[in-house]
Amino acid sequence: MSEPHGVREYLLAFADDEHLMGQQHTEWIGVAPFLEEDLAVSSIGQDELGHAALLYELVLDLEGVEATDLALDALAFDRPSHGYRCCHLVEYTTNDWAEALVRHWIYDTFEAMRWQLVAGSSLPKLASVARKALQEEAFHRRHADALLDKLLDAPEARDRILEALGAVYPLVEGLCEPVEGEAAAMSAGMAAASTADLLEPLHQAIEARFGRSDSIGSRTASLQNRQNRRTTRSADFDPLLQRMREVLDYDPGAVW
Amino acid sequence: MARSWATMEDFEAFLDDGGLVEADDPMPDAYRQAVFAFIEMHANSELMGGLTERDWIPKTPGLRHKMAVLAKTQDEIGHGHLLYMVAADLGVKTRVEMLEDLFAGRSRFHNVFHYRAVTWGDQVAIAFLVDAAALISQQAVFKNCSYGPYKRILRRIIAEEGFHMRLGEDRMLRIAEGTDRQRLMFQESLNRWFWPALQLFGPDSESDDVLLRWHIKSERNEVLRDRWVQRFVPMLQSYGFTIPAPDMRWDAVTHRWDVGPIDWEPLKRTLAQGGPDSSRRIREAAGSWSRTAWVRAALSADLSDNGVADNCAGNGSTSTGGS
Repeated sequence: MSEPHGVREYLLAFADDEHLMGQQHTEWIGVAPFLEEDLAVSSIGQDELGHAALLYELVLDLEGVEATDLALDALAFDRPSHGYRCCHLVEYTTNDWAEALVRHWIYDTFEAMRWQLVAGSSLPKLASVARKALQEEAFHRRHADALLDKLLDAPEARDRILEALGAVYPLVEGLCEPVEGEAAAMSAGMAAASTADLLEPLHQAIEARFGRSDSIGSRTASLQNRQNRRTTRSADFDPLLQRMREVLDYDPGAVW
Repeated sequence: MARSWATMEDFEAFLDDGGLVEADDPMPDAYRQAVFAFIEMHANSELMGGLTERDWIPKTPGLRHKMAVLAKTQDEIGHGHLLYMVAADLGVKTRVEMLEDLFAGRSRFHNVFHYRAVTWGDQVAIAFLVDAAALISQQAVFKNCSYGPYKRILRRIIAEEGFHMRLGEDRMLRIAEGTDRQRLMFQESLNRWFWPALQLFGPDSESDDVLLRWHIKSERNEVLRDRWVQRFVPMLQSYGFTIPAPDMRWDAVTHRWDVGPIDWEPLKRTLAQGGPDSSRRIREAAGSWSRTAWVRAALSADLSDNGVADNCAGNGSTSTGGS
């Protein structure tokens, strides 16, 4: 795979993860456990969508397309489902707040590591976005950690959190799955190491956070086959994309 | 500094002189209850407004657009958060008691949030027409509000509501200049939301309205309602939309729009929690609250410091909000 194509795939996977994670946060505003949490989740959601927008802009840069709202939205919303490069963890649809919190912690832990990999990227704009994003990620992690510190100490809440971890855990490996073309992107100096190299540190961070529990006793190796280098979508994706596109599809010629 | 008023006449003279009452003042109980009920309803309405908008946030057409909409709804819930704290300081109910009363259908919120946003056009109509109505009301309260903590919070709320209204106006303009389908969608939204937005101001103020006498409100409902009509009727018409008021007429003598007779029955139904979407809205809010009770229980030791989890298991008090 050529370097430019590899770079595009690499950025797209990053952007799609951020986009869908931000999208998942938007579902919680107004229905989180208390008002402060409504406010926090909407801030974090805005940050993730903002990262997605900046990363999509970099993809448009590569294509020589000006990053207008229309061009950005065409890239963010108008691809066929097989054209997306997100992982299944961010596609996962849940109305369980414990699962949402555990995913938030895992995703942001991974995301901080991922931004570190590109902090010295040969793409100056990406390195600059990484510096901004890393500052925000520190707040995201602090937010999730503060909640987990307390919830893991309370017996009933601990059970719920570990049960949620069990539900989300099989999707963790896919978070670290690279796209086809990542090697080409790396030889172009895009990132300091492969996304796959984050899997072991992420596992260690999860064990340090949640302890060694039955929930994470068995690591699954099957997910990489299901994601197929992030080219295959989970069952949750199509309904999610449909929901995101509902207004856009109402009148494809419209500007909103 | 401790202050006191020997009689209600002294207290009212203090208010008439432009005095500001603070949370730790020994205010007359009737005043305390009236201010509390007014702020509680405002807080409830900010929260329920956020819930009305959340139905459409995930579907917002556009990535940057979604960030703006998310920020707006975050502001609304942030207003609710601030207002619940101001209300709780009055010592009538804790924040949790107010929320539990709201989710049990025991307290009130503005009529407009008893309706469902059924299209994206409704979301824009809310951001434009409803936020404008709320802004006009809040500006009038702020102007001469006798309760200091509320007045100070309103300064911030009004600044943010101004941004929301401009966001709504910008989105409405895109639709007005857009395709036939977009314009039709917004016309249908206008048909649904014009009257509820107008009714937000309430029927004409009673002559003995204590909210006016105690300078909680500074202007009569009908004056505020008319201000909204004179501003938005010509604006909507200039964009080519039709006002859904068949009896509306232009008064050539006063140079004002008269929308004709107002049917107050829909407003009364919402006040009795019998609006078109009241039961779903309250049921779903109560469901979310109940499904996450385990979180509040686990965090109760930390949350009680700021009143969040005080009396988590409590079933609320007897007073109902409303104004």
